[in-house]
Amino acid sequence: MTIRKLFIANRAEIASRIVRTARRLGIATVVPWHARDRHGPALAEADATVELHGEPPVSAWLDGPALIAAAREAGCDAIHPGYGFLSENAGFARAVADAGLVFVGPPAKAIELMGDKITARRFAQRCGVPVTPSADEADDPAGFAGRARAIGFPLLVKGAAGGGGKGMQIVRDAAALPQAIATARAESERYFGDGRLLAERFVERPRHIEIQVFGDALGNVVHLGERECSIQRRFQKLVEETPAPTLSPELRERICAAAVTLAREAGYVNAGTVECIVAPDGAFYFLEMNTRLQVEHPVTEMVTGLDLVEWQLRIADGEPLPLAQHEVRWHGAAIECRILAEDADAGFVPDTGEVRLLNAPQGPGVRFDCGVTPGARVTADFDSMLAKLVVHGADRALAISRMRQALSELAMLGVTVNADYLSRVIGHPAFAEGATDTGFLERHRDALRPRAWTDAERRALVAVAARVVRTPHADTPAEPWASMGAWRN
Amino acid sequence: MSDFTFRAGDGTHRHAVRRGPPTLVDGVPQTVRALGDGRFVVDVDGRPVRVLAVAHGDTVHLQLDGRAGLVERVDPTRAGAGGAGAGGDATAPMPGVVVSWLAQPGDPVEAGTPLLVIESMKLQVTIESPRAGTLERLPFAAGQTFQRGAVLAHLRTDEPTA
Repeated sequence: MTIRKLFIANRAEIASRIVRTARRLGIATVVPWHARDRHGPALAEADATVELHGEPPVSAWLDGPALIAAAREAGCDAIHPGYGFLSENAGFARAVADAGLVFVGPPAKAIELMGDKITARRFAQRCGVPVTPSADEADDPAGFAGRARAIGFPLLVKGAAGGGGKGMQIVRDAAALPQAIATARAESERYFGDGRLLAERFVERPRHIEIQVFGDALGNVVHLGERECSIQRRFQKLVEETPAPTLSPELRERICAAAVTLAREAGYVNAGTVECIVAPDGAFYFLEMNTRLQVEHPVTEMVTGLDLVEWQLRIADGEPLPLAQHEVRWHGAAIECRILAEDADAGFVPDTGEVRLLNAPQGPGVRFDCGVTPGARVTADFDSMLAKLVVHGADRALAISRMRQALSELAMLGVTVNADYLSRVIGHPAFAEGATDTGFLERHRDALRPRAWTDAERRALVAVAARVVRTPHADTPAEPWASMGAWRN
Repeated sequence: MSDFTFRAGDGTHRHAVRRGPPTLVDGVPQTVRALGDGRFVVDVDGRPVRVLAVAHGDTVHLQLDGRAGLVERVDPTRAGAGGAGAGGDATAPMPGVVVSWLAQPGDPVEAGTPLLVIESMKLQVTIESPRAGTLERLPFAAGQTFQRGAVLAHLRTDEPTA
């Protein structure tokens, strides 16, 4: 390994996760922080930390030149972008390379080709990978609405440069189209600085299936299998798993082969994910390619026993792929739940607060990738994902039961998180059957509501509260002692 | 004897506590065993159940069987004669920041009187008095941030409530 010191242009759980692998490989790490974000576990784990500046704080993680300057000043020879932020920004990847540093990710050219939904879908079509009927604004923007209408309804209207569900609209009839186009355009411009739109046929009851691929500089490409990410709210993934519970081996083989073809034709290097939708009749369509490590990569790690960040670093360092396709093995089933600071039962409204008590689930097959430490302030400055809970089992039923147990142990008191809601999702009979599609949470909304607390439960909790609450007379130390501060004998 | 309110997704309940041993909640004896580090074992319908708890001032965050709830001690100096419990105060519908006060402590208010303006998720919302009485206290000044569920205005009712 020629990489000796790695700058992680990210924060929270993914920074911590990258530090762990780098340390194992003997690579020193540098992790940035901000005056309003100095609580991540990575800051204690990294070999060095650097302060970033910017207002709002998130802008510091989007300031490419400042990040590259910080990396060089810290003596780093490589930058890992993690996911989000600048991870899929071709300009950043190019600037990193131009600064003489290694970008741990695909070459800028590949990000450009696959990062734009319009060029990516045309490329997929040329490679013989199926795509849904669509219309885009790349040429003839004036006729866009008319061509969109001609595809037929329902339609999905989304930003060409988008991601994460932002700016995405389902349109069920022609009357709603003009408003949907206006809304999608406004959101795309606001979030991505690019208002170009794409309309495609909306497949009813779709499953979201994605394939993890890896390429090396020698032109080798392998896949590490699929992940199903159909449990979504507002087009954002909440639960991911592998293997996909109802995908037939033949269909899995065809989708994986298509993903490998796409990556090979694109000259793809490093980690990438080919996202598809699968219709109830088994037809599959290319959706987009994510040119980075995915949030949900740990489920693939759990079933393959591989470290995907290690693969990324080795490939970025010029090594060939660690395994050939026939050497990749899959064991058991893995599920990931995204732990978000939000009140899922009140319409998924984000919550803020301070993590006053943190309980990390433990046990066989349980992995908790956590981005907060006790005392961390959870603010609206950053994404609401605080942690990822990942479990592995010899089969899916065991993984489900481990996940339910782990979710009940997980606590982040002081901020509302969605752990109990996730427990109801994982515990729903339809989930156990694998009857998952992107409409799951909406369809089962009533069954997913929490039951009321019983009188006995409330009394027990109040009894505990009465015991721990500060009482003005009993627990307050006498004045002279209190004034001595943190005094110990 | 002191009063506590229990708040969760399904609403707010008020409970009377008499410290023991045994501690009585609404007259029912409770078994609480402390394991340290905010961990407890309680008895619910004859079944031992693990509880996590952490206090912050008069607020206690708790979790039982993976479900979280909030218990607040009702301040006897504020809740006394008028009977104004937390249930009648104006609480924050979501986290945010106080923009301005529209009324001052001591002002008589009617149900619907605008009390203050808050901003949450880029949206300004006017918080109105839930009932008639006297505005006793506005705990957050303009520019201060608060969490969802925080009491934004303490009210005192002039006549005892039913």
